[in-house]
Amino acid sequence: MRNVFLIIKHEISTTLRKRSFWLTTFLLPAAILALSLGSQVLARSSIAAGGSNPLLGGALSANKPIGYVDAAGVIEQIPEPPKSDNPLQATGPLQEYSTEAAAQAALDREEISKYYLVPADFIQTGDLLVVDSNFSVFNSLENNGYFEYVLRLNLVKDANLAEMLADPTAEVETQGLAPQGVKKDDGFDSFGVPFAVLMIFYFVITMTSGFMLQSVSSEKENRTIEVLLLSMRPRDLMLGKILGLGVIALLQIVVWGGAMLVFGGVSLGGLNELGLPEGFFVWALLYFVFGYLVYASLLGALGALAPSTREGTQFTFLIMLPLFVPMMLNSALIQTPNGGLTTFLSLFPLTSPVTMITRLAAGNVPFEQLLLGLVVLVITTYGIVVFSARFFRADTLLSFNALNLKRLLQEIRR
Amino acid sequence: MTTPTAMVSHLSKSFGAVRAVEDVSFEVYPGEIFGLLGPNGAGKTTSIRMMLDIFTPDRGEISVLGGKMDEAKKNRIGYLPEERGLYKDLKLEPTLIFMARLKGLSDAEVKRRLPDWLKRLDLYDHRHKKIQELSKGMQQKAQVIATLLHEPDLVVIDEAFSGLDPVNTRLVEVIIREQQAAGKTIIMSTHQMHQVEALCNRIALINKGNTVLYGEVDQIKRNFAGNAVTITGQGDFLNVPGVLEARQVNGDWHLSLASGASPQDVLRTLTARDGIKIERFEIAEPSLDDIFIWTVQGRQEPDHA
Repeated sequence: MRNVFLIIKHEISTTLRKRSFWLTTFLLPAAILALSLGSQVLARSSIAAGGSNPLLGGALSANKPIGYVDAAGVIEQIPEPPKSDNPLQATGPLQEYSTEAAAQAALDREEISKYYLVPADFIQTGDLLVVDSNFSVFNSLENNGYFEYVLRLNLVKDANLAEMLADPTAEVETQGLAPQGVKKDDGFDSFGVPFAVLMIFYFVITMTSGFMLQSVSSEKENRTIEVLLLSMRPRDLMLGKILGLGVIALLQIVVWGGAMLVFGGVSLGGLNELGLPEGFFVWALLYFVFGYLVYASLLGALGALAPSTREGTQFTFLIMLPLFVPMMLNSALIQTPNGGLTTFLSLFPLTSPVTMITRLAAGNVPFEQLLLGLVVLVITTYGIVVFSARFFRADTLLSFNALNLKRLLQEIRR
Repeated sequence: MTTPTAMVSHLSKSFGAVRAVEDVSFEVYPGEIFGLLGPNGAGKTTSIRMMLDIFTPDRGEISVLGGKMDEAKKNRIGYLPEERGLYKDLKLEPTLIFMARLKGLSDAEVKRRLPDWLKRLDLYDHRHKKIQELSKGMQQKAQVIATLLHEPDLVVIDEAFSGLDPVNTRLVEVIIREQQAAGKTIIMSTHQMHQVEALCNRIALINKGNTVLYGEVDQIKRNFAGNAVTITGQGDFLNVPGVLEARQVNGDWHLSLASGASPQDVLRTLTARDGIKIERFEIAEPSLDDIFIWTVQGRQEPDHA
């Protein structure tokens, strides 16, 4: 047992010394952070510069007056324009023109940023024309809500009703049938959190299982395995490696989970606000541990069988394929967390480690299914660990024969 | 009789349809340097792996350090495999510490012993380098340290001198002799016959999975004496019936005899030839090299010996 601990320690320290580990552990979240923050900074700097950013082009004309020609005669009252620190939300006052030509002339003189033309048949057709001197896709982000609000108010003649018509489902709370808590229905919680969970589980299981393949096959390749086999049983070696790299996997989960919270602007105390169901972290830990064991064992067996790291890597995709399915179907899983396909993938043991937890983050999962999925996963894990351990024997570890189906069958029959 | 440190008896091992070892037996006694010889693919490494409990034999008996192998005994064995077994992308010092700790040494004990070994083998200044940055000879010396740092009772070395220059070869020879003097048992598997002649008390020659030659080096040489003669003299010593090969070595003629030919027949033939003057006729003691080649090529030791 002493040597198992030495192997655990060795695997941890060896992996932590690898530059690739630190790059993938920190660079990936940092890249995501840079991409998400960078785009916001760019947009904000453009806005602050009054639209002069050459990258984004176009001008934001936040506080210039907006013209309108009311041929339908619907506008009788004009409320104050909304005040906002955000240039995208800010807008200038409305300026009425009697004719389209007058509005156009004002636009040409740059006295107004744009003008609306409310045609005489507006009530019947709902058609509205907006003439903007500097239209671009980016400029379309500018707030048009003020004029729309003015129209709504003048149509319904009631300020509250006009507000409500703008967004009748502004404050919706989703109450699930299963008693796992209340979820706020906003963008980050409903899609961002499950997607982040899916990404983290997929990448951490893939990466740490990959470390297992690398660790075993490199010891084969540099012949260290022969010396190690004189100090310990092959299966103790496998155990030490799986546990050691398991610690690394958990460390990555913490780093990436932490990064996810930072991106989401969530403090540790504010975890509840993510709308994750009660017991989420316990289920996540259980599914992760067994999922990791399944794939690390399989890739460990691949490392034992393959004559070199390079040849082993060629087969990695086949083994990791089931884990890739939920990644490919991420939208379907998150949008229909209780659909037939999602339910199947969350119970099928090779896809359940990622799918079940993504599903749990996206919606409510009945307790029975969580339990069933876990039991199936645990039984499968046991079978796969026993199966993989068959290949952790000296004959196989010291063999450098090419890996093909014939050899695989021979090894299984031994 | 002394109990052997290692004993293998009628070992056999197959991998699928390939029979790697058919019938190998030998005993190694405390304090001796034992040579395990054989051509490539003869079954030496497989026999060693079975002896060390890395492979399980299909048949045969093994006794190491007084009985069956167990985990505690593994810590009393130092093994230097033919293919170097070090982590190439790790630094030298932590690798050696890890290896020694696997052999049961405490961290403190490893750190106490290691500097002396590193200094002796001229690796101290390279201890913070990655192993892949070291030369082949340095890697070999590092492997020697990994094999001996835990002071094993039984040392098994597969091609100890591979990649070493003459200076380091001499150094490793000295270290092996020191180990022997300290009462350790050493099993050396090698192709380099002059080192076997210089170091080994006894040998076993394995060919095609069988022990074909086994015993004391001097006795084996005596047994093979008569298969060659050394002659000092003048005249034509070529094309003598019963002689496979005649070559001049330092002015003397060295004649390898064909199977069944006796030195007396050759002497008789030569004295009957015109123009031959023999100053010295001596039955040559064959080198281990000759014995190795004769045995592997299927020639037997002479009946008369």
